[in-house]
Formats: sequence, C-alpha cells, structure tokens
Amino acid sequence: MNNKKKTSFFSRFYVVLCLAFFYLPILVTMIFSFNSSKSLTHLSGFSLRWYQELINNVEVSKAVYVSLSVAILATVISTILGTITAIGLSRSRKVVRDLILNINEIPILNPEIVTAISLMLLFSSAGFRKGYVTMLLAHIAFCTPYVITSVYPKVRSLDPNLANAAMDLGATPFEALVKVIVPMIKEGIFAGALLAFTMSFDDFVISYFVSGNGVKNISIVVYNMTKRINPTINALSTVVILVITLVLVAMNVAPAIMKARGYKGNKKRERILLCILAALLCVGLVRCGSVARGSHVLKVYNAGEYIDLSLLEEFEQEYGCTVVYETFESNEMMYTKLASGESYDILIPSDYMIERLIKEDYVQALDWDLIPNRENLLPEVLDKSYDPGNRYSCPYFWGTVGILYDTTVVDEEDLSGGWELLRNEKYKGQLYMYDSERDSFMIALKALGYSMNTTDMDEIQNAYEWLIAQRDSMNPIYAGDDVIDNMISGNKAIAVVYSGDASYIISENPDLDYLTPAQGTNVWYDAMLITRDCNEVDLAHAFINFMISEESALANSEEVGYTSPVASAFEEMRDTTYEGVSSYVPQIENDKNEIFGYQEPKVKQHYAELWTKVKAQ
Amino acid sequence: MKQYKHLLKPYIIWAAVLIVIPLILIALYAFTEEGNEVLTLSFTFDNFRKFAEATYVNVILKSFRLGLVTTVICLAAGYPLAFIISRSPERVQGLLILLVTIPEWINMLLRTYAWMNLLSDNGIINQLLGLLGIDPVTMMYTDFSVILGLVCNFMPFMVIPIYTSLSKMDHSLIEAAYDLGANRFQTFWKVIWKLSMPGVVNGIMMVFLLSISTFVIPKLLGGGQYMLIGNLIESQFISVGDWNFGAAISLILAVIILIFMHFMKKMDSQDD
Repeated sequence: MNNKKKTSFFSRFYVVLCLAFFYLPILVTMIFSFNSSKSLTHLSGFSLRWYQELINNVEVSKAVYVSLSVAILATVISTILGTITAIGLSRSRKVVRDLILNINEIPILNPEIVTAISLMLLFSSAGFRKGYVTMLLAHIAFCTPYVITSVYPKVRSLDPNLANAAMDLGATPFEALVKVIVPMIKEGIFAGALLAFTMSFDDFVISYFVSGNGVKNISIVVYNMTKRINPTINALSTVVILVITLVLVAMNVAPAIMKARGYKGNKKRERILLCILAALLCVGLVRCGSVARGSHVLKVYNAGEYIDLSLLEEFEQEYGCTVVYETFESNEMMYTKLASGESYDILIPSDYMIERLIKEDYVQALDWDLIPNRENLLPEVLDKSYDPGNRYSCPYFWGTVGILYDTTVVDEEDLSGGWELLRNEKYKGQLYMYDSERDSFMIALKALGYSMNTTDMDEIQNAYEWLIAQRDSMNPIYAGDDVIDNMISGNKAIAVVYSGDASYIISENPDLDYLTPAQGTNVWYDAMLITRDCNEVDLAHAFINFMISEESALANSEEVGYTSPVASAFEEMRDTTYEGVSSYVPQIENDKNEIFGYQEPKVKQHYAELWTKVKAQ
Repeated sequence: MKQYKHLLKPYIIWAAVLIVIPLILIALYAFTEEGNEVLTLSFTFDNFRKFAEATYVNVILKSFRLGLVTTVICLAAGYPLAFIISRSPERVQGLLILLVTIPEWINMLLRTYAWMNLLSDNGIINQLLGLLGIDPVTMMYTDFSVILGLVCNFMPFMVIPIYTSLSKMDHSLIEAAYDLGANRFQTFWKVIWKLSMPGVVNGIMMVFLLSISTFVIPKLLGGGQYMLIGNLIESQFISVGDWNFGAAISLILAVIILIFMHFMKKMDSQDD
C-alpha cells in the first residue's frame, strides 16, 4: 500500500509538471496583456490599455472575423462532405474505396508546407484571385480528410441492413440516411467536426500561402506583428483563451448536468444552435458583401508596421472611400505576390525593387500636377538613380543601414573600424546580423571596398568568404525584425539595423547609439508607386498627395520612427521627438555610399544561394 | 443499399481538383525550368541536381535529426503522462485530457512568442535566475530553445493517441498477466506497451511529421541561421523566388515522408 501511495504522489507531481510546461507560455501571454508598458519582458504596472486598443484595432477585429467565419464555414462544409463521402465509401467497390482512402491520406500525411504550396500553385495557375474564397477552399480541402477518417470507421461498424430495414418500412433513402444512419454515427461526426474546427481556427502555414488581397486570419496578423510585437495581441489571446476554456468546459460539463437533471428536448437546443449559426453566417456574408460594394476602393500594399493606421481612416473619411491595406514582410515577398497575379493600386517598396517594377512595366507614370504637396519634399530625396526625375515614384521614407551599438559595452576606439566592428572578436556572440541577403552582402562588399551592386563573381566570392569567416569567428544571430525588441531589452551589444528602426530603438533605450560606417553604406529610399492596372488613378494620386502633406508626414514619422522626406516633418522630428538621436538624420554625404540597383534574376539567385549557404552552415 | 454509392461522387471530383492536381503541379514545377509557360515546358533535372549539394543535404539531415530528437523527447515525456492519465479516476481523466488539449487551441505563434520572452538573454527566466544570484544563461537561438518550442507545441499530439490506446485496453489482460506470474516490468513491456503500440505509432507519426516540416518555430526561436527544410522551402517561394527549386524540395520531402509513413503503418499493422 505504501508503495502505491508514493507512486501516486510522483504521478501527480509529474502531471502538474507537464501541465506547467504547457501552460507557462500561455500564462506569460496573459500576464503581459495587463502590463502598462509595451515591454513583454518587464512588468511595470497593471493596466487595461491593450484591451482598449484591441477594441479599437480594426485589423485585429477583421482577422478575428475571418478566422472565425472561415473555421465555421469550413467545419460545416467539410463535415457534410466528409460524412456523405464516408457513407458512400462503405457502399462502394473495394478498388474505388482503397483508392479514395489512399488519396484521402495524402493531405494528412503530407507536411503542411507541401500541401500549402501545392494549393498555392493550383490557385495561381488557375488564375484565382487569392483571398477569402481561396482560404476557405484550402481549409475545406485539408479539413475534409480528417472528418472522413473519423467518420468512416463508425460507418463501417454499422449493420449494413439498417438502412434497408428503414426503407422496407417506407422511408425514402434520404430519410433513412438522416433519421437512421446519421444518428448512429453522430459521435464520429462530432469528433470530426471538432477536429476540423480546431485545425482551421489555428491554421497558419496554409493560410499564409493561399490568402491575399488583405484577407488575413489571426495567425497571419500575429506573424506580421513580429516587427514590433504589440501587447494588443496578448490581450486578444487572453480573450481567446477565456472563450475557448468556457466553451470547452461548457461542452464537457453541460451534458453531465443535463443528464443529472434528466433533461430532454435536445431537438430544441440543436435548433437554437443552428439558428445562431445561420445568423452568424448571414451577418458574415452581408459584411463581406458590404466591403465589396463600397464605391471607391483603394488597395495599398506596404511593408509591415510602416504606417500610422489612423491616417488611413482619416483618408477614408476625407475621400469617402475604402482603403484595403495589406502588408508584406519583404520586397521580395511583395514581388512574389504581385507576380502571382494579385492586384493593388498603390505599392510602397524600396529603391531596387522600384527599379525592377519600372523595368518590368508593373507601374504607371505619376501625374505630378495631381500632387501639389510635392513642394513639401526635401531636395535630398528626389531624382535618385532608381527613378531619375521621379517619373514613377514619390518618396515615403528614407535612411541608411548602420550599426546600432551599446555605448556601455562597445569601446569608442573600436568604432573607427566601421564594418570591421562586426568581426571584432572582442564582441563574439554579442551580435545580431540582419537576415537579408542583400544587406548582409552589402556589408561584406563595403568592408572589402567593392561596390555593393557588383556582379563580378570574384568580388561576390570574396564577400561570401568574408561572411563565412565572420560567421565562424563571431557566431552571430541572423535575426529578423525581432532584433528591435531584443535591442530595446539590451539582449546583445551590436546589431545591424535600418536607421529608422535605430531611431525608435534608441528612443526606447538611450544606452544605444548609431554608427554609419566610413567604408560607405546602403542609402535607401522607400517610395509610393501607382500600379499599371490601378482602377482608381485619381484616388491613388490623392492618397500620395495626402501622405506627403505636412500633417500626415509628421504623424507618420512620429508613429513609425523613420525619417520623413517632407521638409517640415523632418525638421520638427529632428528638433523635438528625436533630438540627439543621430540615426534620424541620415549621413549621406559619403561618396562611398550607394543605392541598391536592380539585380538580374541570375545574379540575384546566385546571391540568394550563397546566403542560404552562409546561414545553413 | 446501392442508393448511397453516388454520395461518393462529389468527393471524387473534389479530391481530384484539390488534392491530386496540386500534387501534379508540384511535380511539374519540380521537373521544369524557370519561367515555364504552358506551351513552352522545358524539362530538366537541374533542380534535383542542385539539391545534392552539401549545404542542402545538410539542411535535410539537420531537419531529420531535429525531428527525431523532438519525437523521442515527446514519446519519453508523453508516454508516462498518457499512462498516468489513463490510470486516474474517470472524472479526472476527462478533465486532464481537456487540460492537455486546450493549449492546442491557442495560436501556436503566440505561444512561441511567449517562449521568446521567457528565454531571451534579458528575459523572464534570466531575470528570475538573477534574483537567485545566478548568472544569465543564453537560451535563445540555440538547439535548446528550438527543441523546447517544438516539444511544447507538439507533445499533446503524442499524449492523446497514446491515451486513447491505453484507455481502450482491457484491464483483465493486465490482471491475467499478473496472475500468470509476470512482474511489473514484464507486464508493462509484454502487455501494456504492446497493446498501446497503435497509439505510439500514431503519436510518433504526428509529432515527427509536424516537427520535420515546421518553419515558423525554428525561425523565431532559432534565428535565421536555423535553416531547416521547411525554412528552405519557404525562402525559395517567398524571398528567393525560385519556385521550381522550391517545388523540387517539397517533392523530395513529400516522397521521403510518404515512404516513412508507409513503413510506420506496416509496422503498426504487423503489431496487430
């Protein structure tokens, strides 16, 4: 007996340990949703401000709606489709059955990313516009096999004569199906539906590849937030956790209570549930319809976390139109989406991508007469090599790439080495590189004294070796935008960053400073373009004009932290919010500085391959 | 009874369009050159030849190693959990299984971000260690952080099928084993473990499949240098723009996985 008690203590302890492991991240998420500051590692006080922002955040509420409505629709459709298929399967010949069951296994056994890519290829080769419908189709496609696998065994275990008996007694085949077979396989159907809903609601990979045109579910919004992780999303997940817990507990507890009370009248409850579901769907369809019906719609495609969102609302009100705002992770991703046939009105990419888009005829010339605010622009940002005379593009933000360093760790005298600071072994393991092939090769090429737009294979090879040597001696982290949060928390001493991000980081962590290396760097310009097949040319020009008005430019620069191309906003920010923050004023006088140029696909692929090799060790 | 045969028809069409054709498209891209149009297909093996380079082979080996380690840890930690749950009173069982499933409903990315905040150099765990006077430990961007993230996300997929197998088990078999003189170890190894095999195989398949093809968790917890096959595929489609090579890698991954799964299923049915 004694022995048994002991094991049960260990068992309990083990269960608690496992659950603690599962719930630790969730607990952290919940606690920090009540934090009064933006930090996700330091608690500074209790507040409900993130819940307030959650209610006001249009993007998040749209995403919740998309996630929920796609999950419900996909669950209902895949449950019906899966159930009738399972019943059909049990009645068909063995050859057909085995074939279908094997094909059905493919989406279950295939890695998610392969399924995602296969569906993306399907939609893009069929010329489907990626959006809500493609996401829904993809979700039904990957949910149905799960429904079939959970319903089919139940159907197989049924007595095949049941339906016959019902029909002998005068039931039509449909009645026999609904009144006899379905009730007997209810359990399997319910399990399948639950599985389908879970898979669909939490899906990221497949949705990420097949959706577009501004349609985002919660996962995609969260993924795009990596740049500046926003506690609003913690608030959202706390709400989701509470709702899910309540629903699951209710589902598990309610039947037990009802049983105990001898409750009957399931029918009524089911009907009420169905009504609620139908009402939800109707509301959803109406909402979808209303967005599409808006008379003037402007589709803007910009980098993530790169705008003051309230400006969009202001613009919508002023011009009585709807702005569909979508964000991308990188210029390359934007190009991929554009090339796969998605349409936008306004794009906001970077210089070299602008050059490529002009070359490949994706954009149209601007009518500068419609943009009177051009007078506001700084002369330094106009007429650059990527678009001489600014025929196609209007500057949005600009800056340099440089080194952000912790003044309390890095010695003053080491700074004179410029980019070689990144190979100074004193700071081994203290370094974030930027996970972007062009920026990393730029550093190596500049450190070696070459042009960063070189196509000379030997120079590229030397730069590659520089990066390999740096990787081996310094052990850097190739980080994405999480560098921003990491540097604010002071996790490492040195990071390669864009000047705009540096300004924001320095304003949050004053121990840091920004170095523009003397060997030269990348001076970059992000600018607004109007696509060739833009439907709202006048509205698009109005948008560009609006964004470079003095008030909008100031609000935008204040929110994002990047350097404004508008003179008054630039001066105001320089002298107030970012006073003393050196990165806000780009150091562009150095003749060794360059702007990225267009790369031929072959050259680009060569760089990309080498970069993969640097990272993959 | 034949009336229901036609119920199969919608799914035959559906599966052809949304399962079979997309796979054919992957194969088509994998065996053709860049910029192919329907009329000017030019077939090539270059995409596969490229994959034979050491870098890419290393990526796939690393992915398999990581998948294996994750699966083993999930099995080693998940089996006892499933076992304990299946031995608890019935009311508690339902609750515990619910508690194991709930985290799967919370967005995977969010849970991963939370781990980033827990593990970073100035993160919550290091702050707590600091209070105890322990020097900060580097945990982010290592094998440790990636495996931790994978295990935390995927362990329920191991626990649930094993629990299902264990709870279906006929207890009289275990009693019979004791009656016949087996000791605890023998009973476990020869009876319980054997009978739970379907659940174990299912769990292994699920976890291995999920961990080998993931790309978000390694990217967030391991940094850009943590290049796994999922990341490689993603980067070919999203940033490099070489869809043909990306399709070729996907095809290779799919074929390896399907062979592996076939093998596991065989093992499973032999055990029956």
